[in-house]
Amino acid sequence: MNSFPDLTSFSLEAVLTILGMAAVTYGMRLGGLMMADRLPQHGRWAHVLERLPGAVLISVWVPSALSAGAIGIAGAAATVITMALARNLFAAMAVGMVLVGVGRYFIGS
Amino acid sequence: MLRPTPAPSPTTMGHFAPETIRRGAIACLPLLPSTIIFGAVLGVLASQRGLSLGELLFMSLTVFAGSAQFVSVDLWRETVPAATIIIATAVINMRYILIGASLRPVFRGRPLWVKVCGMHMVADENWAVTMTQENLANPGFLLGGGIFLGVVWATGNSVGYLLGGGIPDPEVYALDFAFTAVFAALTIGMWKGKVDLLPWVAAAIGSIIGHYTLPGTWSILAGAGAGVVTAALTWRDDMDDTSPEAEYAVDGRQAYGAPEGTPTPEVGK
Repeated sequence: MNSFPDLTSFSLEAVLTILGMAAVTYGMRLGGLMMADRLPQHGRWAHVLERLPGAVLISVWVPSALSAGAIGIAGAAATVITMALARNLFAAMAVGMVLVGVGRYFIGS
Repeated sequence: MLRPTPAPSPTTMGHFAPETIRRGAIACLPLLPSTIIFGAVLGVLASQRGLSLGELLFMSLTVFAGSAQFVSVDLWRETVPAATIIIATAVINMRYILIGASLRPVFRGRPLWVKVCGMHMVADENWAVTMTQENLANPGFLLGGGIFLGVVWATGNSVGYLLGGGIPDPEVYALDFAFTAVFAALTIGMWKGKVDLLPWVAAAIGSIIGHYTLPGTWSILAGAGAGVVTAALTWRDDMDDTSPEAEYAVDGRQAYGAPEGTPTPEVGK
């Protein structure tokens, strides 16, 4: 394909596209914080905001565990249980990943 | 470390203290192998789609969002479909509105410039690690993780781009599962008590339904939305947390998830 990788060329349309991607992404990051700053510190909204990180986190990994099939669900369960018992991030990740790796090797995904 | 009795104000704690940045970086160390491999996979893809390495690195450091970058680079053509790519990026990254909102306690009482500087290097991974820290309330910790992940991500991009292939398949060593595992594990650290139960169950159900019925990353928004609505509906007047931990959290001194005496994950030690 390429004779030599193209390292340094910057096309205008590429730079503008990337800047557009960066602007919407950063805008949502900062905008979310700014909106939350305007919400009350106590009461219903504060309560909702405190539940938000857990709800987002669960919604990130539950579908990806499902996508990884039965072994993914088992791996996620093993990770959660190890973390609940050992409270060690390395150990919990290791248990889940080894289970998934070994499971895929022997059973296939 | 012994916590002094008077609450250190954000000014005395510093906004981006070097020591805190370092701890934040170390806390993201478990994510190094998978981040570098996925960065390399993106580098290979980018070299096939006609981006220059410079353009890819520019994207990695300005956009700094893995899944959106994968979709964008995959959509990349000789004539760049700019509008499609930017809209796709916006949709995939919409969760950052929620992630940004949940970072309120980390930035509480800090000046605008700290928020402006601190909110750029926010990826799912350093966000999740920060939210489960005992001394959550420091943007330096968040930034440290972000810088670390950014450097690793860009290094992976360069390696993949220059090699142009021959990258080990992440699935073989279950490296693709590392992200699922870290988020699943960190969820435990976010548990604040039984008020979390119903919103979390709703989030799980919402995201599962979203996973089977909606395209792409909409399942994240479906799950988070279900969790938020459930949290709003289950709130009662007497639920306002007036325990010392909650007050610390309001002062920006103590964290979500790790009240005094609770063992915390062995990250960032």
